[in-house]
Amino acid sequence: MPRTSQRSTAAGRKSQVAGGRSQATNRRSWFARLRLGTWDLRPGTLPVVIVVAVALAYLAYTTFAPKPPPQPDATWTRILEEGVFRIGIDPSFPPFESDDGKGNLSGLDIALADEFVRDWSNANAGSVRVEYVYTGFDGLYDALKAGQFDAIISALPYDPKKTEDVRFSHSYFNGGPLIVVRESDATTKSYYDLEGRRVGVELGSTGDIFARKWQRRLKYDLSEFNTPTDALRALRLGQVDGVFTDIIAYNEIARVEGGVKTVGKPLINELTVIAVRKDTPTLLAQINGVIDAMNGDGRMERLWGQWLVGSGQ
Amino acid sequence: MNGLIRKGGRVGERESGRCSVSPSPPLLSLSLVFNAIKLFALLVIIYWLAAPPPILVTWGPQQVVRAANPKVGVHTRLTDEVEEWKIKKTLEMVREMGAPWIVEYFPWGYIESDEGQYDWSHADLVVDHARRQGLTVIARLGFVPNWARPKDSVTSYLDESRYPHFANFMRAFVTHFKGRVQYVVVWNEPNLNFEWGYRPVDPAGYTRLLQAAYLAAKQADPTVQILAGALAPTLAPTGATDAMSDLEYLQKMYDAGARDFFDALAIHAYGWKSPADEPPALDRVNFRRSELLREIMVRNGDAAKRALITEGGWNDHPRWTKAVHPAERIQHTLRAYEIASRWEWLDACALWAFRYPFPAQTYQDYFTFVTPDFDPKPIYWEVQKYAAH
Repeated sequence: MPRTSQRSTAAGRKSQVAGGRSQATNRRSWFARLRLGTWDLRPGTLPVVIVVAVALAYLAYTTFAPKPPPQPDATWTRILEEGVFRIGIDPSFPPFESDDGKGNLSGLDIALADEFVRDWSNANAGSVRVEYVYTGFDGLYDALKAGQFDAIISALPYDPKKTEDVRFSHSYFNGGPLIVVRESDATTKSYYDLEGRRVGVELGSTGDIFARKWQRRLKYDLSEFNTPTDALRALRLGQVDGVFTDIIAYNEIARVEGGVKTVGKPLINELTVIAVRKDTPTLLAQINGVIDAMNGDGRMERLWGQWLVGSGQ
Repeated sequence: MNGLIRKGGRVGERESGRCSVSPSPPLLSLSLVFNAIKLFALLVIIYWLAAPPPILVTWGPQQVVRAANPKVGVHTRLTDEVEEWKIKKTLEMVREMGAPWIVEYFPWGYIESDEGQYDWSHADLVVDHARRQGLTVIARLGFVPNWARPKDSVTSYLDESRYPHFANFMRAFVTHFKGRVQYVVVWNEPNLNFEWGYRPVDPAGYTRLLQAAYLAAKQADPTVQILAGALAPTLAPTGATDAMSDLEYLQKMYDAGARDFFDALAIHAYGWKSPADEPPALDRVNFRRSELLREIMVRNGDAAKRALITEGGWNDHPRWTKAVHPAERIQHTLRAYEIASRWEWLDACALWAFRYPFPAQTYQDYFTFVTPDFDPKPIYWEVQKYAAH
């Protein structure tokens, strides 16, 4: 029996129970005959439909309606007015940042900061320069909160525990350990492919801790070397089939000796980010805008190439 | 529903006496109630079976640390460890590694978060579990509570007007742990400005703090050992704004009269990139820089006093300029424990840091012996082998 008939019958029964009001009900039953797609629009549903429609309209409005531009935060306004972007840094983490002992800084983070101020200067028809505030790594967050500088750009790892205190930018580098295999290896695409084979790591490294955990499942022979260079040389010599090591160690061997390549994604995410105070949303948006632009136009890759030679990321 | 049962009537019967169409016997109502009770009981049983039981943590038998070198120690970080089983597990692993000493941080602001109101529950857990594992606890006190510092200041900021409040806390701490904690370190690395409330470092000011704390502690327990210093090894040039050389700072403490207000010196002995054997030098931060601090003690007539290393060691971060490879870290650490065993003026060598409750997400993670998940790093097994022989 078609659904409509069932419903009509049910409506009829209801009318009988109500006692002689069936004709009046039938006169009002144009509601019951209305349909919305395959659904009957029945008495009592109209208010619900109205409420849902209003809610959807509100949602659509709040989602898609043009918003007035937010007011720039005070820090961003000051950066543009004074033309100075103050950065907290501990220059102890090459190749991200190091000091030559004469106050000259170099590294990936320094080059990145130069890109920020170049883009901002061009976009705002003014001149913004970078000013570095040297701070020990352990004191960076406190000093940021205390207003001693505008942002931390210092090989800063993403830390979810700090998200209540500061805002983090988009990540601009993932320093997690990678799988390195011989250049001739066409079969290994992930660490699963190393099952039952031979894996080399630097003793005590993050790659070693990862390898020990997965060894119970993948049953590979694990060899621990004193340095990542030793592990990578063992790979080149065919003593192991894969090495878990970080990008910096890999690059040193890849650049000088060759014969190895990375496969797959980092085994663990170790995201490098920039931190700003919570009350500086415009500055954060500006930083993210430049990072995204650099990822899009190839500048970020060129920076990696310059400072982390042939990162392969 | 109660009304229906009370009347023993029919389903749908109401106070007004009007009846619905279908009559039903009273038993049906009762059976509904019984079914509801049974359903409720079933839900209770399901909940009881499904709910995880609380983890039972027992004190366990009294343990003894078996260590060939009785000076081996580590700095634990149980301050922010919430779960008791993790506190116990950490201390068990310290004992199993063969370290009889631990240094632990007891933040003033955690214990006396309201002035005059002390909550010792967490501190008691740490101390009592440590003692049950046969460990000797060196307590480090610091971390100014909100009520004792200006709004928006950092937790290392203690105005001199608040020294009596810190002294009161010291007195309460020593009284509470009398017979359980015999060593107490006053403050941490006061020669760094960020450990001194971002103010210019002040050896004379620290000495006055030490004096207040020392006198209060001795009132509570004359046998407690008060440790001073815990200075950060640094090569900061004279006049630097962020730090003062530890050697210069210690001498200035003596100049300010510190000698009468501590029983032993707490030393921080970091090796940075140097092997443990590297000879000490004024322009080097290395493990044997401890000997230079010792010389200053002797020069100031304190040769009879003891010293304890309450922080130190090596870091194996892959990129930090002051880090070494993990294999080097193991070699240097074992050698440092061996050197410490031969320093007759030293009682303990507690290196930084055994385990963090959660990842620090910085180079600090590469100081540890055990991961937050209790996975021992290779250095843990090597120290265990060393301590066993």
